[in-house]
Amino acid sequence: MELNDLLNSFFPDGHSVAVDGDLLCGEATLGGETVAVLGTTNHAFIGAREALVITDHLLSIVENTPGRPIIMLVDNSGQRMALNEELLVLPEYISTLLKTQQLARSTGSKLIALLYGPAIAGGFIAFGMLADRIIAVPGAEPSVMKLEAISRVTKMPLEKLEDLAKTVSVFAPGCDNFFKMGGVYEVWSDRFSEQLSKLLATDVSRDLRAHLGRERGGRACAQDVIDDVVRA
Amino acid sequence: MTPRISYFEASARKRINGIVDPGTFREILPPEDRRVSPHLGLFDAPVSFDDGAIIGEATVDGKPVFLFAQEGKFRGGSLGEVHASKMIGLLQRAALKKPSAVIGLFDSGGVRLEEANAGEIGATEIVRAIFETQAAGVPVIGLIGGSCGCFGGASIISCCCDTLIGSEEGRLSVSGPEVIETIMGVEAFDSRDKALVWRTTGGKNRFLFGKLARLVSDHIPDFRSAVIDVLAPRQPDSTASLRKDLASLQSRLDTYGKDTDARQIWKQMGLDAAKVPEMTPAELAAAAKKS
Repeated sequence: MELNDLLNSFFPDGHSVAVDGDLLCGEATLGGETVAVLGTTNHAFIGAREALVITDHLLSIVENTPGRPIIMLVDNSGQRMALNEELLVLPEYISTLLKTQQLARSTGSKLIALLYGPAIAGGFIAFGMLADRIIAVPGAEPSVMKLEAISRVTKMPLEKLEDLAKTVSVFAPGCDNFFKMGGVYEVWSDRFSEQLSKLLATDVSRDLRAHLGRERGGRACAQDVIDDVVRA
Repeated sequence: MTPRISYFEASARKRINGIVDPGTFREILPPEDRRVSPHLGLFDAPVSFDDGAIIGEATVDGKPVFLFAQEGKFRGGSLGEVHASKMIGLLQRAALKKPSAVIGLFDSGGVRLEEANAGEIGATEIVRAIFETQAAGVPVIGLIGGSCGCFGGASIISCCCDTLIGSEEGRLSVSGPEVIETIMGVEAFDSRDKALVWRTTGGKNRFLFGKLARLVSDHIPDFRSAVIDVLAPRQPDSTASLRKDLASLQSRLDTYGKDTDARQIWKQMGLDAAKVPEMTPAELAAAAKKS
């Protein structure tokens, strides 16, 4: 979905989302209530600078309007791959962004991620995967690595990977696969505003992904291993 | 003088046994339980009875702790479905049983590509579990010094710990040098230039930026001493503490954002950049304090 279509279909009652380069931030009205909206567009790369700007926006929400629902618009091409980003300890920039998402959660905000473009590897971890619920809308393409690159790194023939990808959801890119693994909570294709309001009215506090992965057959053993360790 | 017991070269179990009080480690889901990856067989890849993740309980300096350790010698310590779930289960168990700390021995190239989606989702379930364990008042301490370093999803997990301890050999970054070179070209990062790799991702650079709370030599007893040293109740994150972190990260980006080599950074920090690679951890800590 294009950003403007997305904003208009989710927030027909109005929004004040401003785009600054690849980053966006603002407020919207949903079912008579105000929600915070932030995220990225243009298939952004998530580097140190992007992580800082989003962290700053999140902290402002916690400081000024604690408990307000936060809608995260996810469209990224992954973490920025560059020597100078890594020189500065990029994982620390990302972990600070994650800690801030957790702070928002612990001060009462519900975090809902809407995937509307690519959501890749470290970029998806930094922004999207730590939400309470992850929703895919048309255009969503969650992935870790393209099959071509997996083939290069693992030295497995691409044809074999393409063949496996038809039946195995554990490694290949795509919404259906992430859904089966429990990594995408629901896939929406219409009634966006209504479905989001409904979701925000539910209890989203528990991380259900391993449980859903078992139910949907994509991750048959994750929840069982977790339960066995807790009970051991 | 005690002979050097290399952390870098040791197996995950040997590292655990050198960190904890002798004879106190009780493994949970040990290899006898044969919790193997259900996916690797599809790729004709070998499995391991512990899936490269060793978890359990022990004491350190008499205090109860939970530990997880990644085995770099099995598929690069990569995060697969079972591997990640063992870590998640241990953290959830810690949130309930409240040991003095959870100690994580990282040694991982990141997400296991044959189980990429399970590994990536698992990485964020681990992060979530770390946060919930911390919220229960249990600090999480990470150790970095293994042969696979700490890359990709594992690097992000490690930086969510309360405290990190590492050696110069303990590399930490999101994209590994080989990945950057493969995707962006050799001019972006020459991964064969080992000195460049160590300067960029190695423990000294991470210590000088404050991400490693302790820099130790590649000697398991030194890791143990540092763990005992940092075992303390945790300070919960707040808007004030995260504002402070944000300001410090912003200032780092403003000051060093244009640098392309750690030597430029060290010089700006007031250190003798040419000497940093030869300094012992104690010498570097002293020099950093002075500069």
